[in-house]
Order: sequence, then structure tokens, then C-alpha cells
Amino acid sequence: MSRLQSRHWIFAGLFLVILIAMLLNLRLDIRISPYTQELYDYIENLPEGSVLMVSFDHEASSLPEIRPLALSVLRHVFKKGHRVIGVSLLSEGTVIGYRLTQKTAAEYGREYGTDYVYLGFRPQYIAAILAMGESIRETYPQDYRGVPYDQMPLLNEIDNYDDIAAVISIADGSLTTHWMEYGQARYGVKVASAVTAAMVTTYDPYLASGQMLAMIGGLRGAAEYELLIERDGGGARGMLAQSTAHIYVIIMVIIGNVIYFRSRRRGGSA
Amino acid sequence: MDIGTLVAGILTLAILSFLYRDNPFYRMAESLLIGVSIGYMLAITWTNTLMDLLFEPLFVDGAWLMIIPLLLGLMMLARFNRKTAGLSRIPIALMIGSGAGVAIPAMLYARTLKQVSATVVPLVDANGLPDFSGIVVIVGLLSTLAYFYFSREHKGALGKAATLGTWFLMIFFGTTFGYTVMSRMSTFIGRMEFLLVDFLKLAN
Repeated sequence: MSRLQSRHWIFAGLFLVILIAMLLNLRLDIRISPYTQELYDYIENLPEGSVLMVSFDHEASSLPEIRPLALSVLRHVFKKGHRVIGVSLLSEGTVIGYRLTQKTAAEYGREYGTDYVYLGFRPQYIAAILAMGESIRETYPQDYRGVPYDQMPLLNEIDNYDDIAAVISIADGSLTTHWMEYGQARYGVKVASAVTAAMVTTYDPYLASGQMLAMIGGLRGAAEYELLIERDGGGARGMLAQSTAHIYVIIMVIIGNVIYFRSRRRGGSA
Repeated sequence: MDIGTLVAGILTLAILSFLYRDNPFYRMAESLLIGVSIGYMLAITWTNTLMDLLFEPLFVDGAWLMIIPLLLGLMMLARFNRKTAGLSRIPIALMIGSGAGVAIPAMLYARTLKQVSATVVPLVDANGLPDFSGIVVIVGLLSTLAYFYFSREHKGALGKAATLGTWFLMIFFGTTFGYTVMSRMSTFIGRMEFLLVDFLKLAN
């Protein structure tokens, strides 16, 4: 067995910090950011029964961060009595989106075909976004379950983006950009997003320019949204663990720098 | 505990074991992940793309024009034979041509024109006082552009502006890195929550 190295101790320390924070299960007092509030207000103030398209544009690897985001937004949408059309522009997000939509719809007693439908995956995301702008019926002749488009009461009212209040892209990459470039710019559909923290700086300029309606980002965004809808979904629970983990990382960075500068002063190789 | 949670828990521990060192359990879990992902994507592509959009319209509904995308798709596969490889250039040219035609105006509008127009902001607020945010946007934009202007040596005023631009860039990179660390931590916390709550039942 090889000897334990310093990185092993750092990992073990991080593991312990997160473990203790999660077992304590304390809730941090968090402040709602303006962007999260904007998305909440938008959904809150829509007329009851409005149709929102939720696009699951993520891979399976980002599920731990995506799940609380998607749950909180979907819960709010169903709670307010709005209707959902679920799509996916990444194949890996397809079944995840389907299950999350089904789960949250069941919590509020919503019925498939009337209150929500799941259309599933279409390849070539740019072509899919543009095609839906012309006709969602022709882009998805049938839903994810294989039910023909015309047999679902919700879809009988829907032709294209003109019949949809907004698209909410749940993403871990740059796919939301394409919703803005092709959906928003060409067809005028409003675009909001729930994205992983790593993507927040990518989408900030689009919020500032008004191209994006609102955005919630990362576990923090999910925790804020859970606070607004007064429903736990895993985001708020993780906030203490995340904050303590960040403090731990900062301490490690400081210790690393102290060791580096001390060894350099002694003339050793850093 | 259901079988799905048990398998997911064991595979999560197998992946995390890499933090100690490379080992057969990690490699098995890694190979399984890649295999399952590719298998899943193939199944989705077959049912949602080839069946729904090509074979059913062509062979069931009799949409004979769909023979064109079928032929173009088959031409792509011609790359595997050296003698017929040239045929694949036709669908590739079509894809690049149509892709560029669709993408260039959209990207120019959304990523350049709209973003440039968003930087045209008033430098004073309604009360006639300096608008700090507007000033930061203008100074940040111009100094960052100065950094990427390579037609003149970065000396004098241009050099100072370029140096300021590097500061803005570093702040952006630092913020992005911070958010990325936050994102990775969230992923780890998500898996820890699964292990503690669903797998080991140590927390509620």
C-alpha cells in the first residue's frame, strides 16, 4: 500500500468538513438575489394556466446540481397552476427531465396530456429550436411516450413559441445561448434559465443586456428559490456544506501559499 | 433499499476511491459509465431520431422526399472506404454551408450587436450624479479591447489601458474559477447527500 500523501489528507479533510456540515443539517440565513427574485416574480405573476416550455439541456453528470434547480422551478410552475411542455436538447437530459417533470406534476396532482406533456429529445439543437419556432407539431409529431401530438389536449392549443409564455432552459453548458440566439432573437420567445454555478458568468452579460429574462444559478440559486416557494428540494440543505467547504478551500489556498513563499525564501524549489 | 440505490451507492464509492489512487473498482465504474452513456445515447438516437424522424415518415407514412436525408446520411458513411470517401464531402459541405448561413447572422446579432448596444449606457444617473456601474462598464470594455489590440506596441497610454484591461480580465477569470469551484463542490455535496440520506440512511 502506498504512503498517504498530502493531497489525500486534503481530500479527507474536505470529506470530513462536508460530512459534519451535512449531519448538522442547519439552515443558513440566505438573501434572495435580484435575478432569482425576477424569475420567481415572472412565474408568480403569469395568468393561471400559462404554458411554459422547460428544456432539459444538461448531461447526467451535473444531476446533483441540476436536480434541486429543476425541482424548485417545476414545483413553482405546477403550484401556480401553469402548464408545462418538457423538451430536451441533449440526449442524456431526456429521461432525467421526464422523471423530474413526472415527479413534480404528481406532487400537485397534475394530469399528463392536460397539464403537462413531455416531448423528449430532438437532435441538432439549433435545428430543433428553429423548427419549433415554425411548428412544434411538425418537430414533435408524437411525444416521448409515443402518443400522437393531436391526442393531447394541451398541445391542441400550441403551434409555436407564440403560444408559450417563456422557455426555461435548465442547463449545464452553453445551450441556453442557442435559445437566446435562435428562439429569443428570431421568434421573440422569452428565455429564462436555471444553470449550474460554473455557467453563471457565461450568462451574466445576457442578463445585463436584457436578452435573458432571469436566471438562477447553482446550489445557491436553488436554495434561494426553495426559500421563495417555501419548499425544500435539497438546495437549502447543501448550503451549509457548501459554505464550510469554501472556507476550507480558502484556508487550504492560504496554507499552500504560505508553504510556497517560505520554501522560496529558503531557496528551495517551490 | 431498492436495487437502483444499492448499485448507485456502490458505483459512487467506486468512483470516489480514485481520490486515494487508481484501482480496478474505479476503472470498472468508469468503463460502466462510458458504456452505459454511449448505449443510452445510441438508443435515444435510434428511437427519437432515426425511427421518429426518418424511417417512420419514409416507410410508414410514405414521405418519399425523406429519401434525400437518408442518402445524405449514407454518404457520410462513405468516409470509411478510401475509394468512396469523396462522397462524404457533399453532406459535410451542405451541413457547414447551411450551418454557417443560419449561425452567422444570429450570432452577429445576439453576441455582438446586442452586447455592444448594452454597453451604450448613461454615465450619469437621473440626478446628474456619476453612474458608477456605467463608468465601470465603459472603462472595462475599452481597456479590455486595448489589451487585445496587437497592431501597436503596448506603450504609453495604450500600454496603461492594456494593463488595466488585464485586471478586468483577471477579475473575470477569478470569478469564473470561483463559480466553477462552487459548481464542483455542489456536485460532490449532491453525491454526499445521496450517500448519507439514500444509501447509508445516516441523515434524513
